[in-house]
Amino acid sequence: MKSVGTPLASPRPTETPAQALIPSWHRVAWSYAGGLAIALVPLLLLSADRFWLNILTYTYLFAGLAAAWNVLAGFGGQFSLGHGVFFAIGAYATGLLFMKWGVSPWLAILPAALASALIGSLIFLPTFRLKGSFFAIATLAFNEVALVFANYFESVTGGPRGIQIPFRAGIANMIFADPRGYALLMFGFMALALAVALVLRRSRLGYYLLAVREDEDAARAAGISVVRVKLRATALSAALTAIGGGLFAMYVRTIDPPTLFSLPDIGVKFALLSLIGGIGTVIGPVLGAFLIVPTESYLRALLGGSVPGLHLILMGSLMLLAALFMRRGVAGAVDALLERWRHRPRSGR
Amino acid sequence: MDALLHVLVIGMLLGGIYGLVSIGLNLIFGVIRIVNFAHGELVMLGMYGAYLVYSTMGLSPYVATLIVVPALFVIGIVLYRLVLQPLQTESSMQIFATFALLVIFQNVVLAFTRGEGFSVASGVAGMTLPLGEIRVTMSRLIILLAVTAAAIALHLFLKRTMLGKSIRAVTQDRQAARLMGINVERTFLITFGIGSALAGLAGALLSPIYTLSPGIGGNFILAAFAVVVLGGLGSVAGAYFGGLIVGLVEALAGFYVDPELKQAIWFLIFLAVLVVRPTGLFGQVGAEEIGFREQA
Repeated sequence: MKSVGTPLASPRPTETPAQALIPSWHRVAWSYAGGLAIALVPLLLLSADRFWLNILTYTYLFAGLAAAWNVLAGFGGQFSLGHGVFFAIGAYATGLLFMKWGVSPWLAILPAALASALIGSLIFLPTFRLKGSFFAIATLAFNEVALVFANYFESVTGGPRGIQIPFRAGIANMIFADPRGYALLMFGFMALALAVALVLRRSRLGYYLLAVREDEDAARAAGISVVRVKLRATALSAALTAIGGGLFAMYVRTIDPPTLFSLPDIGVKFALLSLIGGIGTVIGPVLGAFLIVPTESYLRALLGGSVPGLHLILMGSLMLLAALFMRRGVAGAVDALLERWRHRPRSGR
Repeated sequence: MDALLHVLVIGMLLGGIYGLVSIGLNLIFGVIRIVNFAHGELVMLGMYGAYLVYSTMGLSPYVATLIVVPALFVIGIVLYRLVLQPLQTESSMQIFATFALLVIFQNVVLAFTRGEGFSVASGVAGMTLPLGEIRVTMSRLIILLAVTAAAIALHLFLKRTMLGKSIRAVTQDRQAARLMGINVERTFLITFGIGSALAGLAGALLSPIYTLSPGIGGNFILAAFAVVVLGGLGSVAGAYFGGLIVGLVEALAGFYVDPELKQAIWFLIFLAVLVVRPTGLFGQVGAEEIGFREQA
């Protein structure tokens, strides 16, 4: 017999039970700590293997970046494709402060995040009246304008060749001789982004964002200042993305426009990871990164040498299947399974 | 003065290319509201189709349009039916799916060609036409003529035929159109097919100009979106004049400002238009109002 959902059951699978019944801070803190502990396991298991350690480092970084993107796009429904700009601001600001004035990257990411939040608020402000796909295309245009400028203003950005950061190992320089240092660094960034997302999700601003996402007019009618809410979410999301960009710059030690403004690898990637994991949920973007980044890197290493493009054909097909059969992402699919299990027919047992 | 005239001619010819690439996207984005990232790849498929016809049958790329355009129509129909229609209520997933299609198309072509660049030669395309002191390449002139013809034909199709009228009705208000007995899903399907066919036309006609590479679609897609939004959604005149405007701006900016900044300048103009008049220059007021949620 097919299970029949109770009228109280949420019709939307992304609405986690947590949203219906707000869990205590206590419980949230424990699941946060538990989740981070699980995420740390692969680092302990794989730390001897340089190949997997590198993949894991990227996985942590992109989990944090996708979570940062999700703050504005997932919770607030503002589908930005311009987050490459914030990523690049973080990378350039951190790298330039370090190279020109010898500012330690640990300190330099703070003004980088601040600059990104300010610039982000300023350039996104005029686009907030655009809806849906128009907002997406406008923010995509920001990415392209920024790419042209980054190539053009060679005296600041080093032009198309970019900036090279010399290898001077030292904790103050955020350059580690032991690659495990970078993995831990990115892990810390992911933990920070997740903590921000968790706190935001339960804060007043978080609820305002959800209201704006669901129905802007209704939110305005309820007395929410829609523009202010979008601005705050943009600033927060841009600042976190810039921190990720700064850490990325210190990891690869090359800051060049083609990498920073790449759509498939940066600007659109944040969206892809979040969508595949489950957009608008706290855990979704992280799940997406843990599924996609290792799969992609592994397939590239496995097949890259044989037929050119074969690993990307497979990745594209996987993404297409995910889009068609997991419309609410992995998080949504898991929730739907749990929901079915909870409402399983009791008769006949 | 001569320099200005020269720049204007170059801009017009460039605008023809942008217009031709955008005219199909304008239909798809304007009517169905899909942000089709794979549109540039449909153009790319059109180019490789023309190359295939040229290399196997020895036909000129202009004759090849007779094969390439219907083929792309069919590809478009299949894509819409299998991928985009099931995702109609999930707009962000639709964007995601078109991005996946972009990755697949690019790399399938890469795998088959192994990254080798092809070029299509044509006797007609290589000729030049003296226009005063300026020599105009035939292939570019043909594109400008073709986009003009395509724009007029599409305009007449949308104004005069029943199918065209149903496409316009669906663009304006899909709920009301449905209530009037229009089969909205079938209209979308055919619209996507026509949009893809126009991308195929663009690809075939562009093939004598460019060296073919799997990633070539990326050169067109952002420009095409800019043209579509600049000109106005669902407006044929918008795509046509939007293309010419972008072409002229690029040529003028490249000559008078700095060739390296030309792209940034038309993107900034595009952003300004988007913010001041989201409807675009020729679009219907209110056409941009449909957000992600209201699309179902």
